[in-house]
Amino acid sequence: MENILSVKGIKKSFGGVHALKGVDLTIKKGETHCLAGENGCGKSTIIKVISGFYKPDAGTIEVNGIVHPHMTPSDAIKAGIQVIYQDFSLFPNLSVMENLAFNQVLANNEKFVNKKKFRTIAEEAIQKINFDVDLDARVEQLPVADKQLIAISRALVHDAKFIIMDEPTTALTSKEVNRLFDIIAELKSKGITILFVSHKLDEVFEISDSITVLRSGENVISCPASEMTEDKFTYYMTGRHFENESSTLPKEISKEVILEAQNLSAKGFEDVSFQLHKGEILGVTGQLGSGRTELSLSLFGLNRPVSGKIIMEGQEVNLNSVQEAQKLKIALVPEDRLTEGLFIPQSITDNITVTRLNSLSNMGVLNKGRLMNEASTWVEKLEIATQNPTNAAGTLSGGNQQKVVLAKWLSDNPKILILNGPTVGVDIGAKYDIHKLLKQLAMQGMSIIVVSDDTAEVVSLCDRAIVMQGGKMTGALEKEDLNTVNLNKATV
Amino acid sequence: MKKFKKITQDTEFWVFIIIVILSLIIQVRSGQFFTNNNIVDIIRSMIYPALGAICALLAFVSTGPDVSFPMIGACSSFLAIAITKSTGFNGPWIFVYLIAIIFGAIMGAVNGFIIVKYKFPSLIVTLGTSSIISGLLFGAFEAERTELPANLQAFGSAALFSVKNVKTGLGSSMPYTFIILIVVYLVAYIVLNYTMIGRGVYAIGGDEISADRAGFNVNAIRFGVFVINGCVAAIAGLSYATMTLHYLPAEYSGGEMVVIAAIVLGGAKLTGGVGTLRGCLLGTLLLSMVTNSLILVGISINWQKVFIGGIIIVGTVIPMVQKHFASKNSGIHQNGGNA
Repeated sequence: MENILSVKGIKKSFGGVHALKGVDLTIKKGETHCLAGENGCGKSTIIKVISGFYKPDAGTIEVNGIVHPHMTPSDAIKAGIQVIYQDFSLFPNLSVMENLAFNQVLANNEKFVNKKKFRTIAEEAIQKINFDVDLDARVEQLPVADKQLIAISRALVHDAKFIIMDEPTTALTSKEVNRLFDIIAELKSKGITILFVSHKLDEVFEISDSITVLRSGENVISCPASEMTEDKFTYYMTGRHFENESSTLPKEISKEVILEAQNLSAKGFEDVSFQLHKGEILGVTGQLGSGRTELSLSLFGLNRPVSGKIIMEGQEVNLNSVQEAQKLKIALVPEDRLTEGLFIPQSITDNITVTRLNSLSNMGVLNKGRLMNEASTWVEKLEIATQNPTNAAGTLSGGNQQKVVLAKWLSDNPKILILNGPTVGVDIGAKYDIHKLLKQLAMQGMSIIVVSDDTAEVVSLCDRAIVMQGGKMTGALEKEDLNTVNLNKATV
Repeated sequence: MKKFKKITQDTEFWVFIIIVILSLIIQVRSGQFFTNNNIVDIIRSMIYPALGAICALLAFVSTGPDVSFPMIGACSSFLAIAITKSTGFNGPWIFVYLIAIIFGAIMGAVNGFIIVKYKFPSLIVTLGTSSIISGLLFGAFEAERTELPANLQAFGSAALFSVKNVKTGLGSSMPYTFIILIVVYLVAYIVLNYTMIGRGVYAIGGDEISADRAGFNVNAIRFGVFVINGCVAAIAGLSYATMTLHYLPAEYSGGEMVVIAAIVLGGAKLTGGVGTLRGCLLGTLLLSMVTNSLILVGISINWQKVFIGGIIIVGTVIPMVQKHFASKNSGIHQNGGNA
């Protein structure tokens, strides 16, 4: 088969930081190629080089056998290359029709608006992927999955031969991911080449013909998907070997019930009952909108229950405010750590110590030395990758930021730790570290509730899981039944 | 039904309803709302703020607030009037307007240049230029109340048509600046809806990076918006002087807030990308009705401000409340973060 794209020895640095240190990437016509790598490995940079937005410092770009010494964005579009960015690059305030037609009309250098022509362009575009949508709807009113399909349709307007999708599944539910994969298969059947950028293992194996892995600006391997295994893949991505997670010994769970919900109802869910034992990791799983998040908020005093009981250590408790939850030693690590759990511009030390400033001060005056000590203990314990705990939290990678949030809540020594999507957007390496840490904490007697829609995570991490659907609890799986097949069956 | 539901989600629809209710109340209480002279008076008082509303709209949709248009209007009309008087020019009035437009464009270009080149927030830049222009106008040029040159005086005194209320004997005449208002709105409507540059104004307000990737010339469009704003501000400023038959420099400053309130009422979003000319007209109409007609029902002038404030809050809160209920009914729970 011919190559649609062949880049060789691409180097690119930004102000002395080498983002790409000589990357080679060869993609065959008609294949679905996966580009994988952890955050910051240079995936986005190489995409921007291929699409002409960055000029490489060294290296060659060959598209369809033609060498482009100075590739520009319009060269790339003419060569049939289209990028679907993670943010989709849409206009939320405009109609679907305009979003689909603009690029084409501007490329033809037309000055006036011809609504009929706009509609024709838009209709043809959505037909190509059998996408049914109201062309006059404003894009901001549509769900994320539809926005993505608009971005894909728009790429097809340009007669795209080669579509690059940057982390396309990040914001999608598993149902929507399946639909996307169907569309990718259809595009492939039409002879369109796809470069699928992702760091999610299961997706990469499901969708791709060949795989290229980048690590710190270099490509570490390129091979057909059939020659790749999960272990190899993880190793190439991280450069580390991990023991198989699920091989941890089954442990005896204490009979002691620390928290019990009896027929609990609140906004977003109703009639939920479960028990949480001491030292247990309980999974709460379900689709988006199933009430899983609302349930976790109720257990932390952020979503006042309307009926039912919460019993902690044998006593009924009222959880109407965060202060009450904290008094009972319940901690919550929120879903969106960037906006909800972390002060990005503040130092790592400040972030870790913020929940217990009282105990770290003398008569209202903060004791700097004790703050620093406390922070460095946690930085060491959780292996947070930083030179200096006085650096801003924003300087850390996603996984390490998550660890800082964890440290913040752990430093208060909670009895119950609730985590909402603990590893969303986190690298494999950091994910492994976080799982290991949570298991250790549970061994030491902490009870943990993990809210997650990542079935693989629930299976490998949790001792038991409850399944939510449409605001109701629809099932509970004990350890022996807890596997991916059962979970997928229960959550669909 | 679906279409009706869509309409009720528009802020414009609710402003229209408020206008109807308010006019009916005034009519019932005073019997003087739907009279020919009152209608002409209201439209007449709308002309200046409605022109300013275009400046506010273009700036908000594409970039952010522009608060300099009243002072640009004041200064460019001062210069146009001064030049006309000192040269003794007595040709067609339109040339006086052209002089003002040139000065307005220059001042607008300064705004646009700073905003585009240095990526400064438009609010800060236009606050700054507004203050500088005001200082120059009253300090360097020593502007004060003056008579208009003969050609403008004639233009301002002429009436497009006049009406007389047979019952009360009160009369009112429609100035020619009404035609200017219509022409400016027509041109703006065509450009905003039927040219790619006009769509670009909305596109860059929606998402600047996407607009750049799609192939819009973001900087040129943004610069153009501020130049056009300068021109429209000059037209508005000179029209105001024409209608009052005097140049009154002290009357201009502070007008921006009422105008911005009007366009927000008309559905323009402070975050950009959303707003229509129809909304501008409805918003200014409502505010003009309040300032003009409440007096007919015997409500003192002092209460007008309370009314204006109340209407602004109610008018902008309704769409938010609707949005809240819409999301509640669709079964998607908002406060669960991602869930």
